[in-house]
Amino acid sequence: MFRRLPETASDSAEVTLWVDGEPRQVGATLSVAAALLQQHGWAEYRLHHDGTPRAPLCMMGVCHDCLITIDGEPNRQGCLVIVKDGMRIETQMPAAQPTPGASTG
Amino acid sequence: MSENSTSSQVAEVAIIGAGPSGLAAATRLAKAGLKPVVFDLNAAPGGQVYRQVESPQADLRVTGIDYRLGQRVVEAFRRARVDYRPDSRVWWVQRVDAGFELGVLHEGRSAVWRARRLILCHGAMERPFPFPGWQLPGVMTAGAAQVLLKQGGLLPEDAPILVGSGPLIYLLGWQYLQAGRPPTCILDLTPRHQWRLPLRQPVKAWHARGYLFKGLKMMLALKRAGVAIERDIDALEAIGDKVLEQIRYRQRGHWKQRPASLLLSHVGVVPETHLTRSLGLTHRWHAEQQSFLPVRDDTLSADENLWVVGDGAAIGGAVNAMREGTLSALEVIASHHGLTKEERDERDGLRRERARDLCARQLLDAMFLPPLNIDAMPEETIICRCEALTRGDLDQAISDGAEGPNQLKAFTRCGMGPCQGRQCSLNATLLLSRRLAQTPDQIGQWQIRPPVQTITLGELATSSMVENRAT
Amino acid sequence: MRQDFFIVGGGVVGMAIAYGLARAGQGVTVLDANDTAFRASRGNAGLTWVQGKGVGMPSYAEMSLDSVQAWPSFALELQQRTGLELEYERRGGVDLCLDEEEAHARRTEYRELQAQSERLRRDFHWEYLDREQLLPFLPGLGKRVAGGTWSPHDGHCNPLYLLRALHAACRRLGVDIRQATPVENLARTESGFRATLREGHVEAERCIVAAGLGAKRLAPQLGLSGDVFPLRGQMLITERMPRVEQLPTPQIRQTATGGYLIGDTHERVGHDKGVTLPMLQTLADKAVRIFPFLRSTRLVRAWAALRVMTPDGYPLYERSMTHPGAYNVNCHSGITLAAFHADGLAQAILNDRIHTHFSQFSGARFHVPSTP
Repeated sequence: MFRRLPETASDSAEVTLWVDGEPRQVGATLSVAAALLQQHGWAEYRLHHDGTPRAPLCMMGVCHDCLITIDGEPNRQGCLVIVKDGMRIETQMPAAQPTPGASTG
Repeated sequence: MSENSTSSQVAEVAIIGAGPSGLAAATRLAKAGLKPVVFDLNAAPGGQVYRQVESPQADLRVTGIDYRLGQRVVEAFRRARVDYRPDSRVWWVQRVDAGFELGVLHEGRSAVWRARRLILCHGAMERPFPFPGWQLPGVMTAGAAQVLLKQGGLLPEDAPILVGSGPLIYLLGWQYLQAGRPPTCILDLTPRHQWRLPLRQPVKAWHARGYLFKGLKMMLALKRAGVAIERDIDALEAIGDKVLEQIRYRQRGHWKQRPASLLLSHVGVVPETHLTRSLGLTHRWHAEQQSFLPVRDDTLSADENLWVVGDGAAIGGAVNAMREGTLSALEVIASHHGLTKEERDERDGLRRERARDLCARQLLDAMFLPPLNIDAMPEETIICRCEALTRGDLDQAISDGAEGPNQLKAFTRCGMGPCQGRQCSLNATLLLSRRLAQTPDQIGQWQIRPPVQTITLGELATSSMVENRAT
Repeated sequence: MRQDFFIVGGGVVGMAIAYGLARAGQGVTVLDANDTAFRASRGNAGLTWVQGKGVGMPSYAEMSLDSVQAWPSFALELQQRTGLELEYERRGGVDLCLDEEEAHARRTEYRELQAQSERLRRDFHWEYLDREQLLPFLPGLGKRVAGGTWSPHDGHCNPLYLLRALHAACRRLGVDIRQATPVENLARTESGFRATLREGHVEAERCIVAAGLGAKRLAPQLGLSGDVFPLRGQMLITERMPRVEQLPTPQIRQTATGGYLIGDTHERVGHDKGVTLPMLQTLADKAVRIFPFLRSTRLVRAWAALRVMTPDGYPLYERSMTHPGAYNVNCHSGITLAAFHADGLAQAILNDRIHTHFSQFSGARFHVPSTP
């Protein structure tokens, strides 16, 4: 897990993130991946298609190991999306979710 | 497809990336009255090195004095007359006639831009450093740890272990120390003889004195604080079931083991060549930087109306990147309406400073050559993280006849995952180079396929209609 | 030691023939181009497909039918020899019709084809299914699709793994494969043929040009037509998705690893292997029309490959009249026909019988003397 510095330069605003249905207060400047590393940790972040657990490696848009479901959209690069109030995050989802049943519009 | 058949938007000068080089280029162009369009993947200017500089989340005592320079650069950029477009993914770049066609994704919509001149300021990435277990949660890069520190003032809950080679390892260790959370130890993979290089190259050492003293200061501070610095390590493994639990390393022939919850690794940075390769630019192997660099002329131009500057072209650090950004702006100004006497002097001065700095860089490159070659790693070491392919898998394909990077990719799916080969391309080429006894230049790298950044089928399908050039 | 054959081209066509010849005990050298060569073998959709083949030339449809019927044992043998999984499946396939007009044209086409051949009337099975009827075969099929023709003969494989398996099997059979060895020119010697390379040369008793688009330059040097042109196809592949038991279609299919492969474009643009923004967009639009659930799925790669097309689109199997012992093989469905190339065609070449067994496929068809 990561923790916020005890004394920071400024008390930044917080937003509410719903992580697997649980509300969490997180710093408004964080990316989704950063918020998860703080609130949830790297364990059980994501399952890779080979069944192994994975978590963010690079945090700068290169490795794609931070893929996560954001507001129902699977496999978003968590390190590139800044948190927004009310955002819903699902961890531990196996790669890419939607199946044909979802919509046939 | 969407009903609005809009034609593309036009930019006289487009800049991709708002890190040090992009900010400098944009600010200088604006000063000359040219209003550049700046596309950046991130939500705020600064790039990786000056991330979050506008609303710092950690004290300057922690992030370091160099961060303050970034604040000034970003302030100047904010004041400049620039069409700044954050959160914009340039997912498509193609040469069209004398200019460029860009596909830019913003808030789920893709737009087409035409740019007459293009400055690529996309920056570097950390050199992928595979070792057994590097795919385990709990193994991250030192760069990632810095992002967390800058973006949210985040520190590891339990003291981490740092491993690798190069200045960033010590910078991060020092920053954690300043924040009251020093690492348990630093495993320095730099071979001992490379540390002695400054003594043998006094001229370069003089030019590099600033870097060297800074490094030494940090190292001493860490030692005084009781952080163990281990050397003479030639093998490394991360071990754990679902997360990192232990690390093992071989020091002077003996395997040692330490419990670990977080391992932060770093073996230097390399240019992120995805954009430059997708544009079909020539790249050459640079032995000192152990990476492929796009070939540029003296004006930092890589092709007609195209400049590549900063760490995305060759590693030179933030200050050099800003210089190159300004230099590219001056070249654009020169090609647009010529340079005044002052502008010529400015350019010549920057060129001299750049030459001095690059001389110092050569020493740093030599001191921090990436350790632990990929072909020496155990065969179970994952090279392509996305497709979970090991060194052994790649070797098997090579023995089946994959005697080139494209064929290796085809035979194994190496590089076909979501990161599009960013994490494995270099190591795949290096492995082929070793196995076939050819130089990295002879082997080359596999062809880059669009998109250069993520886009969904829906975003692509509903994006504003592109002009059909066939009609 | 002089080889029985050298083959110019290490794509699926050349390698399938090399495999067939080596299996028959022949000494074979393969001269392959550089890693960056055009290589339709590395850019195709991986269909083992009968539908749509041979409209206008029933014998081509029959040949495709023979080949897909030989594919299961061909794939099994390759897998047993190499341990490599080809991701081959033959559960049937659907060629989609986006609207009624296309559906009508398709049915007419197939009926006309069958009218021309007793064999196809008997053995080529197909059925037109509307969207409702297709849904069990294509879960998630969008509403803006009219229907499609279903055929039990069709299937798919991983064409890249097929190429690898052919390379691996040929190596195990002792084929001398020389990569990054482009051929400068071809000539007859006193007792065979010579390929001049950038450095040195290779000789063999007989020679086969299986050089794809390279045939245009090389085949005429041995009195063969090599009459081919490039036809570009652009393709998209998505990220991995959960596997759904959907049948493959030429427009879109889910690969064994879960990615959706989207393609089926035809552009005559010379040797330009680039992808274009309008075509990418068209393909994405078509993909979400066929499978709307793919809307939020990410595109991982887009690429183009050049089909090796003959003037009428059918394969070209030539035996040189002026240079006996030299052959040229060109076709754009090297995956479907791989099983046939490794067996029937390799045998016919070995026995020097392609001009009698496959006379319809010779280059002579393009040079019919005009009737007075």
